[in-house]
Amino acid sequence: MGYIFHIIITTLIYIIFAVSLDLELGFAGLYNFGQVAFFGIGAYTSALMSLAGIPIGITMACGMLTAGLAGFLLSFPALRLTGDYFGVATLVFAEMVRVFFVNEEWLTRGPMGLPGIPRPIWIGEGIGSLPRFAVFAGIIALATLFFVRRLISSPFSRALKVIREDEYVAQAFGKNVFSLKLRTITIGSALAGLAGSLWAHYVTFISPSDFTLNETILVLLCVVLGGKGTSWGPVLGALIVMLTSESVRFLPIPAEMGRIVAPLQGMAYGCVLMIIMMKRPQGIIPEHRIRRENAQA
Amino acid sequence: MVGYYLQLLLDGVIAGSIYAMFAVGLTMVYGVFGFINFAHGELIAWGAYLTLLFFHPPFSLPIGIAVIPALALTAVIGLGQDKYIFNPLRRSSRITLLITSIGLSYLLRNGIRLVWGSDLLSFGLEPARGMCVGGLSITLVQSLMIFSAVIFFGLLYFLLKRTLLGKSLRAVSDNMELAGIMGINMKRVRFTVWALASVFAGVGGILIALDTNLEPTMGLTNLIKAFAAVLLGGAGNVWGALLGGLFIGMAENLSMIFIAPEYKEFISFLAIVLVLLFRPKGIFAITGGVR
Repeated sequence: MGYIFHIIITTLIYIIFAVSLDLELGFAGLYNFGQVAFFGIGAYTSALMSLAGIPIGITMACGMLTAGLAGFLLSFPALRLTGDYFGVATLVFAEMVRVFFVNEEWLTRGPMGLPGIPRPIWIGEGIGSLPRFAVFAGIIALATLFFVRRLISSPFSRALKVIREDEYVAQAFGKNVFSLKLRTITIGSALAGLAGSLWAHYVTFISPSDFTLNETILVLLCVVLGGKGTSWGPVLGALIVMLTSESVRFLPIPAEMGRIVAPLQGMAYGCVLMIIMMKRPQGIIPEHRIRRENAQA
Repeated sequence: MVGYYLQLLLDGVIAGSIYAMFAVGLTMVYGVFGFINFAHGELIAWGAYLTLLFFHPPFSLPIGIAVIPALALTAVIGLGQDKYIFNPLRRSSRITLLITSIGLSYLLRNGIRLVWGSDLLSFGLEPARGMCVGGLSITLVQSLMIFSAVIFFGLLYFLLKRTLLGKSLRAVSDNMELAGIMGINMKRVRFTVWALASVFAGVGGILIALDTNLEPTMGLTNLIKAFAAVLLGGAGNVWGALLGGLFIGMAENLSMIFIAPEYKEFISFLAIVLVLLFRPKGIFAITGGVR
């Protein structure tokens, strides 16, 4: 029974993570390839604070705040760039954050990682606690989805889409392009931080190798596969990707074959990402557009 | 003490000449096709791993011969990328191509893990003894690195400046459409660019593997350095990439005087960020285009 709850919880966490990326990538057209940095910042902040004995409700809020603040600060240099250069700059930022986690051993214990991250007291430890953690993650994921839905049905998201299609048009309509992008990245980073802190308290052990380019590719795949710029696309993408990836762990695969499972899985992800970009760049759930002829990747 | 600094400088030139080899292909693809090929690093890794394949049983070729089929296969991978993935997407946006190449790099990297596993491997040659020249030590492989960089860049100079093919390549990077109208054979240019990119990357990868070891992430690590070199040199500029590569190599090694070696990686990160922010056209670039 335990593994069903494990799959549910990781999927819920990735739903939050994917939704946070879709806000930037899908709605604002900001190709952030470093979202895992904010996931990691949220995870480390919350883990370190809770290890110091601070209640988990507060630490998770702080994880969110720190990640949001990091996104806010990163925006000022990064938003001077556009398109693929913005993508590369954020990717490099994520690598810098990871190298920081590896090397600042006084704070993060470096590659050894942080063991024994506590869970909320009412959830407790062990297999029996998993249903309660699933409920906890479910509530947070629902709250996130509710918040994001409110956000994207507001004029704010329509302004973002105008910016995505043509910045100059948005400017001509009197939109403050920089401020809108800044707010998007800050909110997106904070949500990624929330997902990260939730994840840290779930797995109870984090190390820098949990926040690599692999995780970026995984969450990018969730968004692109499900359909970027839609409210249900990243949810569907996260469901598909996480259900397939986490259930593979519980298949009865002989031990000598175990070594090749992870690489094969990685190859499949790479392949799927490529095929979507080539054959169906809009994803499974396409974004609703009024003027079809303007549709582009 | 002066000897120590000179040694660091020499190590920097050695590392830099290899980074320059990596950067050439990346910058040429950017200059001609206009996108960042994130999968370029995997050509580095595949070049090295394929050499290992032909060096070990069942082939057991001597290392000098093993590189030939390895480089040929690396070029096949590079040309295959173009034919089946990037060429069909040539009308898509740069960001689509970038995401596709990220997917491709993940596919190729995991391919290496599937075949050779995730652990460190090495060629297992007898440990290279450093030659001492004027108080500076350099191994055979390291001198080969500088030597092959000189040879390959010399050949590239000849190709680009003295042959018709090089001329058409430069024309295409200036304006692809116009070059097409003037009757330049795009197929040949595509072939040349991808073949050159693969061979340069493969040779560099083999040399780095001989000098240190092989791991599946070696492509990614070196891609970041190559990318820093490309940006320093001005994207698309081959000679800028050479200077940029040398600069990154020297900056990394000389930085060890001031900062902990663990933060050596930060030099390329910092270079990328600073160049993007302040000099997007590059530092060494006089003008754009493959020159």
